[in-house]
Amino acid sequence: MRFHWRRARAVAWKDGLDLRKNPGLVWSMFALPGVLVLVPTLMVWAWVRAPDEATFRAMALYYDPNFPRGASATRFLVDKVLTDWFGLFLLMPLFTPILIASQSVAGEKERRTLEPLLASPVTSAELVTGKSLAAVLPAVAISWVAFVAFCIAVDAVAWPLVHGPVLPNGLWLFGVGVVAPLYAFLGNGIAVLVSARVGEARLAQQLSALVILPLMGLVAGQLAGWLRAGTSYYALQGAVVLLLDVGLVVASIRFFDRDRLVSRWS
Amino acid sequence: MTARIEVHGLGRQFGGRAAVEGLSFAVESGEVFGLLGPNGAGKTTTVRMLTGLLRPTSGTARVCDHGLGDGEALRRSVGLLTEQPGLYDRLTGRENLRFFIRLNELDEREAWPRAESYLRRFGLAGREDEPAGSYSKGMRQKLAIVRALVHDPEVLFLDEPTSGLDPEAARTVRDAVAELAADGRTIILCSHNLAEVERLCGRVAVVRTRLLAEGPISVLRRRGTVLEVRVEGEGTLAGAALAPLGVAWTAHGPLLRITLQEEHQGPDVVAALVRSGVRVRSVTPSARSLEDFYLELMRDADAEEAA
Repeated sequence: MRFHWRRARAVAWKDGLDLRKNPGLVWSMFALPGVLVLVPTLMVWAWVRAPDEATFRAMALYYDPNFPRGASATRFLVDKVLTDWFGLFLLMPLFTPILIASQSVAGEKERRTLEPLLASPVTSAELVTGKSLAAVLPAVAISWVAFVAFCIAVDAVAWPLVHGPVLPNGLWLFGVGVVAPLYAFLGNGIAVLVSARVGEARLAQQLSALVILPLMGLVAGQLAGWLRAGTSYYALQGAVVLLLDVGLVVASIRFFDRDRLVSRWS
Repeated sequence: MTARIEVHGLGRQFGGRAAVEGLSFAVESGEVFGLLGPNGAGKTTTVRMLTGLLRPTSGTARVCDHGLGDGEALRRSVGLLTEQPGLYDRLTGRENLRFFIRLNELDEREAWPRAESYLRRFGLAGREDEPAGSYSKGMRQKLAIVRALVHDPEVLFLDEPTSGLDPEAARTVRDAVAELAADGRTIILCSHNLAEVERLCGRVAVVRTRLLAEGPISVLRRRGTVLEVRVEGEGTLAGAALAPLGVAWTAHGPLLRITLQEEHQGPDVVAALVRSGVRVRSVTPSARSLEDFYLELMRDADAEEAA
């Protein structure tokens, strides 16, 4: 069966249009980026504004027992929080597609639009591709815009300490450019797969959102000092997520079988 | 005339339970064919199999010269109106239609004028830029019919097109279907609204998991013609004279309603009454309604299942 991009684009166009006309969903998509940009910016601002070098040195020594005596502990902590925060920043590309894809797939069942859609010539692969584009592209775009805002905000508040830009750095550029889109595909793949199995958008969202738990666990490990984050650490995460993405795409296309969907949900 | 739909022994099971079993019928080009049956009779399952949404577990069918396994080509040839209109409420009528024009990979410059002409015919012109969610039930159903027609399908499947509509909305949808039928389009109409089927369809198949009857409505109605015989005295006494003929009858005062197996039994019935001394005042043959025929068929099916 030949893949028709035009039909996949039609599905993405319709889902994108439907998303833009759903202000509740659009606002909820911007809540998480707001928090993920604001919280670290405020932390850096507070540390730079009133640096408590003695306390910060104790914290720096906890993370790095070989922390040099003459080095700025505030600067160390600023770099440390920016490195670790990327783990939390990945929540954004991971979670935003879950919000969109669970609405667009399980929502089709809820609104009874699935059967007319499946009665059209669109194939399972085109449907999954179109729906994935509609969920992944906004998620990646929001992540990139949030990253630009984050760079500007952090550089502004850290300037008195660093006297230059701290962001973007290599880790963040690699992470936001490569790892974040892979996480967006992961969130989307899980939401599409779960949506194909359950009948309600809300339930699909709740079940799919469980995927953030391992990521939270990794970030907790970083903050506890058990895991040392860096470019190679995030590259390894990206490689694992890439494998998961491939598996999820194959599984999603299989689960988007017309007979299975119609006999279960129509 | 060529058959646009040929169904041979079609069946579908869900978890060991047969929803449709051994269904066979054919629909000619330009015909409006009714698929009748109670809820859960397998009408929707049959339509879903014929539109490539469900795979049959037995039997074969061809729709517009495509086998049921020809998925994409089959779905290009048919239009489906589902029981629920299934519109995207936040999208306007125009956007709903454009989406399906694009899914069918049509040239919008050619397909949109066709969609517009249907919008005009169905009284939706001027409302196409309003969100579908603001439409009345009848308008939604008509927009869903236009959506099923945007790719100009050879065969149109309408599953309970007036279900849940108020009488006025149902009337407008029925009129719309009648207009499409007048165009010579092949239409399969699933319904348990017998008056609607009687008005719109030439032939019907009555199903209840399996095929119970099939044929032109006029022929099916003649099966078991009713004879209304007015006698002198009590009809009940006169009815006893019909026992040797094995025909069913009911009596209300002097009026006997006798259901004949075949139309030619009429003279034998009158002769039997006269022979037994009944004074016959009038004899009026009356064709049964589709409803009478349908209900009797269901009673027979119940009796058969109970046995």
